[in-house]
Amino acid sequence: MKKKIMSLVLAAALTVSVVLTGCGSKETSANADAGELNLFIWTEYVPDSVFDKFTEETGIKVNVTTFSSNEDMLAKVKSEAPGAYDIIQPSDYMVSQLIAQDMLAELDKDALTNLSNIGEEYLDPVYDPGNVYSVPYQGGVAAIAVNTDKVDVEITSYDDLFDPALANSIVLLDDFRAIIGMTARSMGYSMNETDPAKLAEIKEKLLTLKSNVKLYDSDSPKSALISGDCSVGMIWNAEIALSMAENSNIEVVFPKEGPYVFMDNWCITKESPNYDNAMKFINFMMDPEVVQMVLAEFPYLNPNKTAVEAMGEEYSGNPAKNPPAEVIASGEYVENLDVDTLAVYDEMWTELKK
Amino acid sequence: MKKKKNFRGNTLPALVMVGPVTLWLLLLVAVPLIYVVFMTFCSLDANYNLVFTFTLDNYKRLFDANYVQIYAQSLLIAFSTTLICIIAGYPFAFLIARVFTKKKAILYMLVIIPFWTNSLIRIYGWRTFLGSSGWLNNMLTKLHIISEPAEFLFNRGTIILGMVYCLIPYMILPLYTAVEKLDKSMIEASKDLGAKGPATFLKVILPMTASGIFSGSIMVFIPCLGYFFVADILGGGKSDVIGNLIERQFQSGNNWPLGAALSVILIAITLLLVKIYQICGGDMENLGV
Repeated sequence: MKKKIMSLVLAAALTVSVVLTGCGSKETSANADAGELNLFIWTEYVPDSVFDKFTEETGIKVNVTTFSSNEDMLAKVKSEAPGAYDIIQPSDYMVSQLIAQDMLAELDKDALTNLSNIGEEYLDPVYDPGNVYSVPYQGGVAAIAVNTDKVDVEITSYDDLFDPALANSIVLLDDFRAIIGMTARSMGYSMNETDPAKLAEIKEKLLTLKSNVKLYDSDSPKSALISGDCSVGMIWNAEIALSMAENSNIEVVFPKEGPYVFMDNWCITKESPNYDNAMKFINFMMDPEVVQMVLAEFPYLNPNKTAVEAMGEEYSGNPAKNPPAEVIASGEYVENLDVDTLAVYDEMWTELKK
Repeated sequence: MKKKKNFRGNTLPALVMVGPVTLWLLLLVAVPLIYVVFMTFCSLDANYNLVFTFTLDNYKRLFDANYVQIYAQSLLIAFSTTLICIIAGYPFAFLIARVFTKKKAILYMLVIIPFWTNSLIRIYGWRTFLGSSGWLNNMLTKLHIISEPAEFLFNRGTIILGMVYCLIPYMILPLYTAVEKLDKSMIEASKDLGAKGPATFLKVILPMTASGIFSGSIMVFIPCLGYFFVADILGGGKSDVIGNLIERQFQSGNNWPLGAALSVILIAITLLLVKIYQICGGDMENLGV
C-alpha cells in the first residue's frame, strides 16, 4: 500500500509540475518606464513573436496568461483582484455577457487608427453594436467536411447531415449550442430560438441525428476525419483546413442555410490599470503586418481585409482557411439565452447524448 | 512547571506534527466540500451569476428521466469494469504473490510503471491503436482475418476497456497485499484435510482474500463513475457517465449549482459504497484511508 501511495504522490507531483510549467506567465524583456500589460488570452492563438515585436516597438512589458474556454475566463476574471488583467479575449456571446455585467471599459476610438483595416461586415456586430467595447481578432465558422472518397450523397446544407444514408459516419463538435443551433438553422429557425413550440420541433429533429453520429469531439475532430473513422464532419473551418492538408479527398462545404459563426475579440477590463497601453496593444494587433505574422502561424478567419489581401494564395485562396465574405454574412452568432431556455437546450442535449 | 513540561513534551510535538495536516485538510478538503454543498442550494441570476436564494430545484432536476438513465448507464459501466478487473486482476495478483516470487519486483513494477504516464495520453493511445486505420485493424486486414476495417471504437465496450485499463492497478495492488498475507499453512491444512484444489480455493483462499477484493472493488468502482474523459475519448461522447454531466454543468452549461448537486450525488454514492464495505467487514486501512 505504501508503495502505491508513494507512486500516486509522485504522479501527482509530476502532473502539478507539468501544469505549472505549461501555464506559467511568459515575460518578455522590460523597459520599466513604459509600464506593462497583462493579457489573458486563448491558448495557441497569438504567436510569441508578436509580443516580442510589440515590446520592441513600445518598450511595454507583456505578461501573458492563457485560458481554454470562455466560461473559465469569466470565472477567473471574476475571482482575481480587480485589474489583474488589462486585456481579455472573449468570443462574441461572452462579450455581450461581459457588457451586461459591466466588466468592460469603453474603447477610445481615437486611439484605434488601424480600425479602417477591418472589413465592414465584421464591424458593428450584434454582440456589441457600434464596437463600443470590442474589436474583432479572429474567428471562424462551423462548416461541413466531406470525404468525397467515402460519401456518395451530395451534401450542401446542414439539413443534409440528417440524411439516413450517413448512418454512423459523422463527427460533430461536442458543443450543445453548435449542434442544436445547426439543427435549428436546418429548419429555418434561429440558433438562438427561445419559443418553446419551436424548441419542441427542434428537439424532435435533433434526436433523429443520433443514428448518424459516430463521434462528438471538439478538441481534435480532424483526427477522426484524417484516420478515416468518420467520413463527414461538422467542425470548425480551421480544423477542416488542417484535415484537407492531410487527406486530399476531404472537401469543405459551407451550408446553404448559413453557418454558425464565431468571432473572438479584444476587450479591456473595466478596472484595467494600464488602459493606454492596452489601447496601444489593440491598435497594434490590427496592423496588417502584425496580422500577417499571426496568420502565418494561426490561419483562422481574419477580419483584417488589408492583411488578408496581402497574404498569398495559400491562405486567401483556401476557403477552408479564409471563408468567403458572403458565407460570413449569411451566418449567425450564438447569443446568450435566459437561464430557463438554456435549461431546455441542456435537456435536449443530454437526451441526445445519453 | 510540570504542566509546561507536559506541553513541551506532549502537546507541542503533537501540534507540530498534526497541525499542518489538519490545516491542509480543512483548507483543501473541508472548505471546498462545504462550498460545493452550499452551492447546491443556490440559483442563477440573469447573467448566470451564483446568487443565494434558497432553492431545492437543483435537487429536483437530478430526478430527470434522462439523468436517471445516465446514472444507470454509469453504474452498469462501473459494475462491468469492476467485475472484469476482479477476474483479470485476481490471477495476476496471485501469480505475483505466490508463483513468480523471484520476479515479484519486476512484475510489480510492470503494474506500476504505466501508472506514471498520464492516463489521458494512454487513452489516446488506445484510440490510435483501435481506430479504423489503426495498428489492430491493419494487422487483421493484412492477415486476411477481416476484409474491411472493423469498428472497435466509440461504443460502451470500448469505454469499459479503457476503464479497465486505467483502473486495474487499483485492483491488483490490494489483491496482491491480501494474497501475500495469506498463511501458507492454511492451504496446507486444507489439503491435509482432503480438500481438492477448487474446494481449497473457494473455502479457504477466497474468503481469506475477500478483503482485498472488497477494497479493490471500491477503488475501481468509484473512479469509474467520474472518469468522463474515457467516456469522451473512447466512447465518442455518446455514452455519458456521471462525470460528464458534472463537467458539462461547470463548463458549457454554466450551471454551477446543478453541477454541484450532481457532484453531491457522486459523493453520496461513494459514501454509501464505503459504508457497505465497512458493514461487510472491510478494513478502512486497505482503502489507503
